[in-house]
Amino acid sequence: MNCEEIKNLMDAYLDGELDPVTSQKVEQHLRDCPKCEQAYEVETAMAHAISQAAPYYKAPLELRERIQVSLREAIGAPASRAVTEDDSLPVRRPEAVRRGVVFDMPWNWLALAAAIVLAAIVASSFLPKLWQPGADQFLATQLIASHVRSLMANHLTDVASSDQHTVKPWLDVKLDFAPAVVDLSGGGFPLVGGRLDYLDNRPVAALVYQRRKHFINLFIWPGEPDATRATKAMSRQGYQLLHWVDSDFNYWAVSDVNEKDLQAFKQQFEVQTSHH
Amino acid sequence: MAATLEAEYAFDAEDLESGVKGVKFAVIQRHQERGAAQEHELASFEAMMLPHMDAAHNLARWLLRNEQDAQDVVQEAYLRAFKSFSGFHGSNGRGWLLTIVRNTSYTLLKKNRAADLTTTFDEEIHASDRESVSPAAILVHAEDAELIKNAMNALPAEFREILTLRHQEELSYLEIGEILKIPTGTVMSRLARARAKLREYLTSQTSQEK
Repeated sequence: MNCEEIKNLMDAYLDGELDPVTSQKVEQHLRDCPKCEQAYEVETAMAHAISQAAPYYKAPLELRERIQVSLREAIGAPASRAVTEDDSLPVRRPEAVRRGVVFDMPWNWLALAAAIVLAAIVASSFLPKLWQPGADQFLATQLIASHVRSLMANHLTDVASSDQHTVKPWLDVKLDFAPAVVDLSGGGFPLVGGRLDYLDNRPVAALVYQRRKHFINLFIWPGEPDATRATKAMSRQGYQLLHWVDSDFNYWAVSDVNEKDLQAFKQQFEVQTSHH
Repeated sequence: MAATLEAEYAFDAEDLESGVKGVKFAVIQRHQERGAAQEHELASFEAMMLPHMDAAHNLARWLLRNEQDAQDVVQEAYLRAFKSFSGFHGSNGRGWLLTIVRNTSYTLLKKNRAADLTTTFDEEIHASDRESVSPAAILVHAEDAELIKNAMNALPAEFREILTLRHQEELSYLEIGEILKIPTGTVMSRLARARAKLREYLTSQTSQEK
């Protein structure tokens, strides 16, 4: 290789983009040719200067917060947000964003919101006994925390088995109640295992099911005799919660799957347990 | 915001046994389902894209050379990215985001500073020999953060972006080519020209000192 060829390959050599054979040839030449070697030193010095001395502008914290707020506003009012012509660049300062959300909101949304508020006010004055969001909110927070912890701490299951006949006896020994354990592989919710957990001031059974890449924690404990029979669906912090009761037990399913999947899961579970 | 409220009241409304509420609840339920799906999508978007905010901001800052513009562009780019996130199935989230940041930056550059985009580049000067520059002189300047910053900022936008992508983000020619929409051969030659230009600037600083 002559110096002219080396000159053309030097940038790719510096960036580690040459194939091993060519790279070796360049290396050889640089060892033998002081002139090219010096030029290469200049190149490396510059590369080093850009990566080390030139400022790297990290995103300031306020920008992080601003973006997370604006993304949330984007799902709050999808029709009015950011759907401007693509070739213009709308400069969004926070106050401009807020104005857009309030005034461009479709009328039926406001009407719906008003209806909901009214219904809630009526409900709260007529049926004060059923108005107990505090307790449920607190339980929901506990349930989500427990679900997240089980995924995070690599402690999803105490007994890892897809066999209901392995999981059930294990749980029965540990608890003072005997929940039904069923495998729902047929319905697309294979049983992964079981775990002991502690919720609402008592030990509970946690059955773990899988839906594709997602996990569902099903928490079970004995129900109060006079508990309301209503099914409850909630969404908190991006997690879905589904609550139902049968003659013996309280069930709370928690997952990051969508609500439809969770409803399907409940249905499968109920069908299977009724056979037992 | 609205989604959260909606979910709250939907849940409370569910406790009611009254049939009058049934119809309304069905409506709320539908909205709630959609809200939940959107929240889920936002969560996966954030998990994938928020870690690249520094890279996004750094690229925008070098391209626009102005902090306020850079922040506005990054925010706009995140909103655009989220809007088209459902159509994104690739694995290179950073590359995808940087492409959007770059496009958004150029939209603003074109609008505000058409002059900035013209690559006034003299091939004759560019041909100045690397051999004539003493590495010692460059090395002295390599420690001078202010000078390097000024030198970078004196370059045209297409050189600023390629140098930051290569040396600060340490992307490969292939990744850079995907973001800039150019073949890898062009990445190599453009990088060579960018470095030559930078070297030239640094050399002129050295000669001024003498």
